Amino acid sequence: MRILAIARNTVREAVRERLMLVLGLFGFALLLGSQALSPLALGEGRKVVIDFGLAGSMLLATLLSVFLGARLLQKELERKTLDSILAKPVRREEFVLGKFFGLWFTTAVLLAAEALILASVVTVAYGRTPWTIAGATALSVIELGIVTAVVVLFSSFTTPALTAFFGIAAVVVGHFAEDLHYFATHGAPLLVRAMTEAVYWALPHLSVFNARGLAVHDIAVEPERMLFAIGYGGLYIAALMIFAGTIFRRRELK
Amino acid sequence: MTARIDRGLVLGLLLTGLFLAGAAGLEGTQRARLQRIHEEELLYYPSGVAVRQAALGYETAAADLTWLRGIQYYGEHRLTDQKYVLIGHVMDIVTELDPAFTQPYVFGAFVMAQELHEPQRGLDLLTRGMRANPTDWRLAFEVGFLHYVSRHDYASAARYFTWASRLPGHEDYVPRFAAFANGRAGNTGMAILLWKQVLATGNEYMQDVAKRELNRLGAP
Repeated sequence: MRILAIARNTVREAVRERLMLVLGLFGFALLLGSQALSPLALGEGRKVVIDFGLAGSMLLATLLSVFLGARLLQKELERKTLDSILAKPVRREEFVLGKFFGLWFTTAVLLAAEALILASVVTVAYGRTPWTIAGATALSVIELGIVTAVVVLFSSFTTPALTAFFGIAAVVVGHFAEDLHYFATHGAPLLVRAMTEAVYWALPHLSVFNARGLAVHDIAVEPERMLFAIGYGGLYIAALMIFAGTIFRRRELK
Repeated sequence: MTARIDRGLVLGLLLTGLFLAGAAGLEGTQRARLQRIHEEELLYYPSGVAVRQAALGYETAAADLTWLRGIQYYGEHRLTDQKYVLIGHVMDIVTELDPAFTQPYVFGAFVMAQELHEPQRGLDLLTRGMRANPTDWRLAFEVGFLHYVSRHDYASAARYFTWASRLPGHEDYVPRFAAFANGRAGNTGMAILLWKQVLATGNEYMQDVAKRELNRLGAP
């Protein structure tokens, strides 16, 4: 209940940020822009619109998550509002968890709304509803959960600038994880291989959640893959939030 | 205070407009050079495999961007020197990034066979497409098409048309062409029918080539 109250407050705060409006407009412009590009695509307009729409909205939601999340805890510290919250019977872990759920919910709603706009644009323009983007968007929402958890983790002990840097780095290496594993297991010395294996298993494997390539070709996400993604994403997020809570509990607040 | 802010705002906007106009004017004097630079960029496009690594999960969107750039390249050269030397390179990148995107195989092969007069390169691209999309009838049909109209290899054409007619989702005309090719190999009427099919189903650039070929064959 207390977590829910903090989450609700975080959503309210995020909605008040101008960044949200700017990024929302950007997403809308992107959809219109991709629609304008479609006549140049030699009959592949539908694919191009879905592709750019999905890529743009995910990019947007990721940036929103990183930049809103980077200042999430810092703002509370600066305004001294954290003191008054923690003076109440609220545990620090609950505070961190509330912040995480609030931010995740905000970005997930934005992503879902953009997917809905995209589906409407495609249906009206091309006469066929791209149902497969529902599965791809659901997977992207789980990916956003991991990105948000990484951002909340770093914001629990470092500065906003470093949090944003680590958040973006997590997205980059998360998509590189499979390649890193491939290069390390092909010809690297034993010690390097062992270390890379450890890093590989610790990194978030974000390619698990990327079904945009399937959606653009009207291929639905298989239920097994969806279940695996939910399981993997849930466990990874839980691990990060336990770690974030542990660190924040031990942090000295001035 | 308000008057000063407004004056400052107007001045700021004026200066912004002035500098933007200056930048646009400068660019206008260098159009030809920029065009060349723009084209040289394509030469330095890395391979599709390298772009795939850098795309960070946005491979299909990167494929679309490259596809749009490739069409722009084709369109520009069609209006000027009609040399399309980089089209194969661009379509290779698009198909490496998104192997299930079938239109670049078809269009790239068509341009290589009809405009560059290199049907083997076109067939290689289509064969790669068939390997990545073994159940796509359109790619098998296009291989048959190129064998028929570019290489005049009627036996291979008949084989690929028959193959396409056995794949799921094929159009009604595919079995007809398979039957024609088996029975009337080498017939000009068959070539005319194939080009008429391109005229009916191809994109605008392919339709233009079809019109040219139909004129050459003396079709009504």
